[in-house]
Amino acid sequence: MGSFDEVRGPDGVRPHYRVLMDRLEEIGAEELADRSALLDSFFRTLGITFAVSGEENGMERTWPMDLVPRIIPGDEWRMIEAGLIQRVTVLNRFLDDLYVGGQQAVNDGIVPRWLIESSAGYVREAHGIPAPRGSRCVVAGIDLVRDGAGVYRVLEDNLRVPSGISYVLENRVAMTRILPVGFASHTIRPVDHYGASLLRALRSIAPHPVIDPTVVVLTPGVANSAYFEHSFLARQMGIELVEGRDLLVDDRHVYMRTTQGLKRVDVIYRRVNDEFLDPVVFRQDSLLGVPGLHGAARAGTVTLANAIGNGAADDKGIYPYVPALIDYYLGEEPILPNVTTYLPWEPDQLELILGRIDQLVIKPVGEAGGYGIVIGNRADEATLSAVAMALEADPRGYIAQETIQLSTHPTFVDGRLEPRHVDLRPFVLSGETIEVVPGGLTRVALNEGSLIVNSSQGGGSKDTWVLDDRVGDAVTPR
Amino acid sequence: MLSRHAEDMFWLGRYIERAEDTARMLDVTYHNLLESPGENSSRTWQELLEVLFVDAAYPGPLQGRPVSGYLVTDRSNPGSIIASVGRARDNARGLRDRISTELWEAVNVFHLELARADFALDIDRRAYEVFRNIRSRCQLVSGVAAQTMPRDEGYRFMMLGWLLERAEMTCRLLTVRYVRLAGSEGQLGFHAWVSVLKSVSAYEAYLKAHDASLDPSSVLEFLLLDQEFPRSVLYCLQQVERLIDRLAGSGGPTAMERAIGRVRARAEYCDIASIVHSGLGQFLEDMQKEIYQVSEEMENQFFRAGTDLQLHSYRWA
Repeated sequence: MGSFDEVRGPDGVRPHYRVLMDRLEEIGAEELADRSALLDSFFRTLGITFAVSGEENGMERTWPMDLVPRIIPGDEWRMIEAGLIQRVTVLNRFLDDLYVGGQQAVNDGIVPRWLIESSAGYVREAHGIPAPRGSRCVVAGIDLVRDGAGVYRVLEDNLRVPSGISYVLENRVAMTRILPVGFASHTIRPVDHYGASLLRALRSIAPHPVIDPTVVVLTPGVANSAYFEHSFLARQMGIELVEGRDLLVDDRHVYMRTTQGLKRVDVIYRRVNDEFLDPVVFRQDSLLGVPGLHGAARAGTVTLANAIGNGAADDKGIYPYVPALIDYYLGEEPILPNVTTYLPWEPDQLELILGRIDQLVIKPVGEAGGYGIVIGNRADEATLSAVAMALEADPRGYIAQETIQLSTHPTFVDGRLEPRHVDLRPFVLSGETIEVVPGGLTRVALNEGSLIVNSSQGGGSKDTWVLDDRVGDAVTPR
Repeated sequence: MLSRHAEDMFWLGRYIERAEDTARMLDVTYHNLLESPGENSSRTWQELLEVLFVDAAYPGPLQGRPVSGYLVTDRSNPGSIIASVGRARDNARGLRDRISTELWEAVNVFHLELARADFALDIDRRAYEVFRNIRSRCQLVSGVAAQTMPRDEGYRFMMLGWLLERAEMTCRLLTVRYVRLAGSEGQLGFHAWVSVLKSVSAYEAYLKAHDASLDPSSVLEFLLLDQEFPRSVLYCLQQVERLIDRLAGSGGPTAMERAIGRVRARAEYCDIASIVHSGLGQFLEDMQKEIYQVSEEMENQFFRAGTDLQLHSYRWA
């Protein structure tokens, strides 16, 4: 099956793209190239760059954003939103069950116990750490793709420290400056309330008697590739951005060092991975964490968001069981289906995988960022036989999926609009309620034919517009 | 605010002031030597390195091109302009959520300009323009800070860095130049004093307040004790004291407050004639020590919370 094109269907340009495509036509390629250059200098002056390891300070790359926005019609978005809320509700329930709820889903045989216990993201030390409101995935990034028939499918869940939301917000600001004419002709749901929504969610999970909690963002520091985002979010929320060395734990309470002395901290939106959080319990060589932080979380005097141990639910080996978990907890069908996945640790499925290895995608369960993925129909013989051996040696280390041809979207490349593959990462907030930011981050593989959209591997992004078609409830874009 | 942020704000101010002072002094030295070819240029470059406190580390010959290169574009010199601005930019980056976007952009663009590969070439071709550009970039940063930053705690720490660096720099300039200038008479002395004044942007202001006769003790008085000139040592110390008052809050005077009060009073009530008589060198050295102590006490009070605590981090539930 070929790729689904977001803009052009069998009957020409799809209705929700007609106005935009006309506008782009009027502007013309030359003018678009000028605006594309403007965009680059816009991001550079603002310092919206990501560091490329090994390059000098002045050599950071700007964030590659494409001029052509992606548009999602209102009704389509409502379906996606419902599917995301359903999925994240279940993932929160599952994690809470796993760490403080007696592991009912495991006891009832929904997910095999050995699979959980062999997951690299499963953290024994997280047992007994309370999560107010059961909101363990306060910020979730759920990666969606569209198959050849245009069906949205979940490709993977990111429940630990998903990044990318700052680009969603900055892309929107950049687009209003570079392509105002596009905005004038659409009613687009805004995204700039994200900071307020995130802060509300974080405040809602403060430890019990705290009325007016102190919330901070914990970053690994300036050297981290997502530092821009950490700082951006702290600014959007109007709260402190701290590093491990700014915090200390005394008698199981967390404090930050301020010019006025020590100040209690109640909620930590941490962008530091589990294993670096606390050198007393996790990696002893970590300088990014805070000694005693785990003990404080366990004592319930501070809430960490996201919770420790969420990797057990976004393990690619657990992913195939999410539809069953949706049925188990909610008695519902998944609104957003998974990509068809085969499990190498099931002997009959291993046989199937090995027989069709040149048509499937093989993914290591523990990797992120597009690393280690082998796409069967693009790999040479040597790679395929190597991966087949790896599968047989370590079946738990991989999953196999049907190759999804990812939908394509016109993208401004070398002065022309060319179809490039895209995915979509919407962001879901769990606090008192579950809230989805309209749209999300559309990532685009800038290399022709490539299916890998990660920015570390030649990916860019697009502003993503969710059209507001609710009558009488129109929101004017800014 | 976070102690670390306060400290980074403080150093952001210091680094930018240092870059500006360095550029200005380089500019003055460079063009002075062009005007007076008879002067001993290696001696002049040596003095400049001393004022900037890098004479011991400087590895090259005492000539204009290598010294300027060392002071402007040499990353191995932690006090070079490129290094100062680079660190100011690192700090500003870490402070993105505390400083205005305009201030961040001003520092970032400054850094990008210096990091341009062909920047070093420019010094040879048009030294005047390069130094002037650096100065106006620094002034842009301080102007943008003044125009866009709320007068909050962070702003006060940044101003403290600016002012303490400036006060120290003026003291050092006088220390190094005084030794040589104290005894000099006639034309040479006149030009040298002009260059001292120009090194701190004080020449025009001095002429307005006094006249062109350039009596050495009135120059000294102007740079040390003028109540209105923003680079005089006393003016800086008075501003520092005011900022510290605002930051310290109520309660009895702390070690920091006593330190600034002492050094400000010492400057304010001193008598130039008797200082010159009893030894200006010693006076300036004492001033520098006391200014340094103000920084030290300020760091203890604001940047070191919790360091003396006996932690009970490892107690389990």
